[in-house]
Amino acid sequence: MTRRDRALSLLSPLALLLVWELAVASTWLNRIFYPPPSEVLVTLVELAMSGQLVRDAGISLLRVTVGFVLGAVPAIVVGILMGIAAPVRAAVRPLAAAIYPIPKIALLPLIIVSLGIGETSKIVTIAVSVFFLVVLNVAASVLQVDPRMFDVARSFGARARELFWTVALPGSMPGIMASIKLGVGYALTLIVGIEFVGANDGIGRLIWQSYEVYAIDRMVAALIVVALIGWLATVLLDEVEYLLVPWQATSVRIRETRMQHYARTWWRAMRPWSYTAAIIPVLLGSSIAAVAGTVDGWLLFLTLIGSVAIQGGTNLINDYYDYQKGTDRPGSIGTGDAILQGALTPRQVFAGGLVAFALGAVIGLYLVSVSGPLILWIGIASLAVGFFYTAGPFALAYHGLGELAVFIFMGPVIVAGSYYVQRQDAPLGVVLAALPVGFLVAAILHANNLRDLDGDRRSGKRTLATILGRAGARTELYVLLIGAYVVLSALVVAGITPWPTLLGLVTLPVAVRLMRIAAAESEPARLQPIVPLAAQLHLQTGVLMIVGWLVALALPRT
Amino acid sequence: MRAGTISVTDLHVTFRSRQGLVAALAGLTLDITAGELACIVGPSGCGKTTLLRVLAGLQPADAGHAWIQPADAARPTAGMVFQNGGVFPWYTVAENVGYGLRMRGIAPAQRAPIVRRWLAEIGLERFADAYPAQLSGGMLQRVGLARAFAYDPAVLLMDEPFAALDAQNRLLLQQTLLRQWEGDGRTVLFVTHGIDEALALGDRVYVMSARPGRIIATIDVPFQRPRDAAALRSDPRFGTLYGEIWSVLRDEVARARDAERDEADI
Ligand SMILES: Nc1ncnc2c1ncn2[C@@H]1O[C@H](COP(=O)(O)OP(=O)(O)OP(=O)(O)O)[C@@H](O)[C@H]1O
Ligand SMILES: [Mg+2]
Repeated sequence: MTRRDRALSLLSPLALLLVWELAVASTWLNRIFYPPPSEVLVTLVELAMSGQLVRDAGISLLRVTVGFVLGAVPAIVVGILMGIAAPVRAAVRPLAAAIYPIPKIALLPLIIVSLGIGETSKIVTIAVSVFFLVVLNVAASVLQVDPRMFDVARSFGARARELFWTVALPGSMPGIMASIKLGVGYALTLIVGIEFVGANDGIGRLIWQSYEVYAIDRMVAALIVVALIGWLATVLLDEVEYLLVPWQATSVRIRETRMQHYARTWWRAMRPWSYTAAIIPVLLGSSIAAVAGTVDGWLLFLTLIGSVAIQGGTNLINDYYDYQKGTDRPGSIGTGDAILQGALTPRQVFAGGLVAFALGAVIGLYLVSVSGPLILWIGIASLAVGFFYTAGPFALAYHGLGELAVFIFMGPVIVAGSYYVQRQDAPLGVVLAALPVGFLVAAILHANNLRDLDGDRRSGKRTLATILGRAGARTELYVLLIGAYVVLSALVVAGITPWPTLLGLVTLPVAVRLMRIAAAESEPARLQPIVPLAAQLHLQTGVLMIVGWLVALALPRT
Repeated sequence: MRAGTISVTDLHVTFRSRQGLVAALAGLTLDITAGELACIVGPSGCGKTTLLRVLAGLQPADAGHAWIQPADAARPTAGMVFQNGGVFPWYTVAENVGYGLRMRGIAPAQRAPIVRRWLAEIGLERFADAYPAQLSGGMLQRVGLARAFAYDPAVLLMDEPFAALDAQNRLLLQQTLLRQWEGDGRTVLFVTHGIDEALALGDRVYVMSARPGRIIATIDVPFQRPRDAAALRSDPRFGTLYGEIWSVLRDEVARARDAERDEADI
């Protein structure tokens, strides 16, 4: 775009708004039906300040997200199976094709009849709609993969398993991604419709309510929020696409705006793939709270954002000080390297960390006002540990205390805190139930330190691994991994956690694989797999334990 | 039999298509000794690709035998360079070149130096992390070539590997192929449209008939090794051999065209 074009593209909407404003001011347009932009803006700010807008938007988002995930994940799995296995295709396609054309909102009454008017029916409606839309599209994209690519793979000796992972899956990824985008758009449309009909909250309800009292300004303000959510979803999906389909995105990337580039650089610098460590304990604490009583979705949402903000801030501050202290150098494996790649200046990274911490603090203060003072102490301690993890004369991570800090804070503290947000109480049982997650999150960090053992020694970074030496560090890894499973079983035996949480034991083979590699290798490049394996272990075991708690929720109480 | 010996006896392959049955190969017999650089020329559509696909195990034969004597278990029997490059769009250039090694179960750390070496050989080091969408057609063909070489099979099946290259790059890669082959002495089955390319590279040139394909002539190439692919053209025997092959091929090309025209009339 030339400068003139850019100016035009900004000016034309502004001009429209101005004309609108003037038309109302001159009473040419009726203020009641066409509230002027200035009035809408005031209403928007008022609604936002009162907290109602954020609350409604948050609830709608939660419904969309949960419904979408519940619909899309099985749809992708079944769709891929349909694509590669003719029998599955034959069995599923007629059914899916028959249900697909029904406008899913038409199913809502039917779903309400069987599931009641509560959250479940809304989420199920979205999930069902997304499922049928995505499943057929995914199946089609698997079938579209260039058959010659399968031949190429076969000529290099690929067997069924490899054909799937190296041809069928990546080959259909662009199509799968397109289906996901389609599904998200559909889910966003649907939630507004669903909330029109049967909801007491949510952004759709806000629009409908405003209509009923002829508050057009509120209606437009809510519409702006809907548009904003849609835009955010697009940006997020583009990012996901870039991660999953980098080979297609490259050509698109060249044309990205400076702002997109900026946003992406920050997103990367905050290492989003590490957020599972902040998300899993929140979900675990909330699931335990759900078993004890009810869970407020809005508070859960805020807790998640707060936890992720503190983690993101810690990552950035950590990068800044690692860079300052010279631990990260070009060529070292797996660092958060926005600074090293010259994408951001050290000062920018530091400021970004502080902003993330500030966001965490604001959310924390709100949670303190709703649930109680414990959150204040947890918040202050988390920020302090996050900051002094690598900063200051006594950086925790450089004195062999990284694992301990992570164990305590990413385990018991967040789990108990999330429970406390919901129930204003933090019993010992919850703290104990968090221990396996604490062990496994410490194992991620320790796997990292074990891999970097020699390099850290050279740069004088004192981690528990460099202090214990190679043999000791290996033992520590075994203790952390085996400890997680032993504690998990002991908690069930002691009757502290319900038996379905034993589901977490399913991941034992992954742990064994990890320990085998750690025992056999000492070279960083050969040890590299233990880091993603440890992260995988934490994520999978955590999810399975959460599922265990939710299953316990469904079981009859004794 | 030595590893890399190719033996094809009375091979028949027939395709079922909407137009009916298409006999691609009918009674093709071919014996190639281990370590030979054999070139195949033939009119378009005569079944050259089909023959390579059968040897690579991608296409079942309807009758007859096609056999490659395998090497020991650690080394793959056959690797193919595909006519269109056959490069995976979803992998980077380096990942593509390392693909065969990955399928052989070789760890990433050990693949890296081999991949680097072959990227240097084809002059694409700077594109190691690029995706195929960013490459030209000739570059893609070089990637397909490097991938097959890195895989290190006992027999290399090459389907017009240099067809999409410019003249300079073709000459360079012909020299690379010769140097490599003179060093390792593996069997190479090289399909080409160029009679001069076949003469410049091959120990022997096999001429195929119009479809259904058979071998109708075998020409021994007398030039000594090591060869300079660029200097051969001034050798007087070059012109004679070229004329000999062309006289056989010309009739077949004409027949192939007539057949195609007849099919179009149906
Ligand atoms: N999968 C298929 N289905 C139907 N017909 C096919 C198929 N593959 C090849 N054929 C036919 O078999 C014949 C031989 O094809 P092949 O690709 O082996 O030719 P070729 O000698 O490699 O040609 P070219 O030099 O143009 O690459 C052609 O007539 C082609 O149309
Ligand atoms: Mg061909």
